[in-house]
Amino acid sequence: MMDRSPKPPEALMRAVAQDLKPVKPSQRPLRLAIETAPCALLASSLILLAIGIRGDSGILGPLMTWGASAAQFTLAIVLIWVAAHESTPAGRLPKGIVYSAAVAALFVVVAITLSTFWISPVGSTLRVGGPFPVPPWIMDLVCGIGSTAAGGILILLFSWMFRNSLAIRPTVAGALYGAGAGVAINAGWRIACPFPTLRHALGAHGTAIIATVLLGALIGRLLGNRRLHIGSKRP
Amino acid sequence: MIRYQGGSLEAFQEIYAQLAPAVRRYLSHLAGRSETADDLLQETFLQMHRSRAAYNPTYTVRPWVFGLARNVFLMNRRAARRWAQVCESREDLPEFPVLPEAESLGSRDQIRRGIASLSADQAEALLLHHEWGFSFEEIAGMLGISAAAARARASRGMVDLRAALNNLLRART
Repeated sequence: MMDRSPKPPEALMRAVAQDLKPVKPSQRPLRLAIETAPCALLASSLILLAIGIRGDSGILGPLMTWGASAAQFTLAIVLIWVAAHESTPAGRLPKGIVYSAAVAALFVVVAITLSTFWISPVGSTLRVGGPFPVPPWIMDLVCGIGSTAAGGILILLFSWMFRNSLAIRPTVAGALYGAGAGVAINAGWRIACPFPTLRHALGAHGTAIIATVLLGALIGRLLGNRRLHIGSKRP
Repeated sequence: MIRYQGGSLEAFQEIYAQLAPAVRRYLSHLAGRSETADDLLQETFLQMHRSRAAYNPTYTVRPWVFGLARNVFLMNRRAARRWAQVCESREDLPEFPVLPEAESLGSRDQIRRGIASLSADQAEALLLHHEWGFSFEEIAGMLGISAAAARARASRGMVDLRAALNNLLRART
């Protein structure tokens, strides 16, 4: 009997046959998100290893110091999990969940910052300055650029880990990865930063999170366009 | 799919043979033009090949490939910025699938016109469920909505389709 099943076009078959090396199947989004945790934790902890914990950790107590950062870090992994779902053609989450996760992240970061400032208002615990006072804007720049750079490294790592992802909205997926990176980095920086004024915490650290979100969105868009460009070169 | 990920060309051919006709009809529905659907179909399978490592065996292959096809369509639409043109071309009524449930309600042409009159969201959910047999959970994963929203879209689509067909019949008599 003649086989009437549709056959792939010759050119497509050639393109497929040219690159048939075995590949490792992808993991579930939750597993992927958990796999990113050690790297995110390392990137987030580098600042703690470099300059140690903030001077007022005694006033804040372990819950507000380590507990709040752990909560923020967990939220970052949740954002990466949502982003990994957004990158899967058959596993997207409802838009409501995606946007709720983003709003929850914003709310939690702001709430933790305000609570920290409320428990330990700035003043006696400043470690910067001393005999050589450092102007606040320099601290803003150091924290803003430093945590954006650390977040940027994480975003590059995520871009590599999720390079084969197939997000329908690559800019949104990238922004979520960026938000995850920014929130994870801030979890470490908030307990290391020796300049805990509210203006600095919301301004410099907040701007760094926004910058990583924008960087993630930009990289997502670029990767999406690149995939489109490759796809348009049909065999 | 696992054999294909392991490097089997025959497995790719099997996947193509099983899925290409349905994916082409779906793309034809999305794009509104059958000639565009052929290009998009080829691109879908090319993207599937390039991204085969991104497939997770816990997902069913069909919704994954359909989701990928939708992705390819949207990327192309975004790049070409010709959505308006695509919408206009719906007047041409190309190879629009005809629902088995609706066949008793009117001629194929009437049903096609009825489906074309639905909103894009309703028509897509309706066809994915009734024509291609996806569950509402699978549709939810492909469209980024909840299963309840997918069910509501398909159900409202069917109600509107019935109403559109009744109007057509009444207009004729």
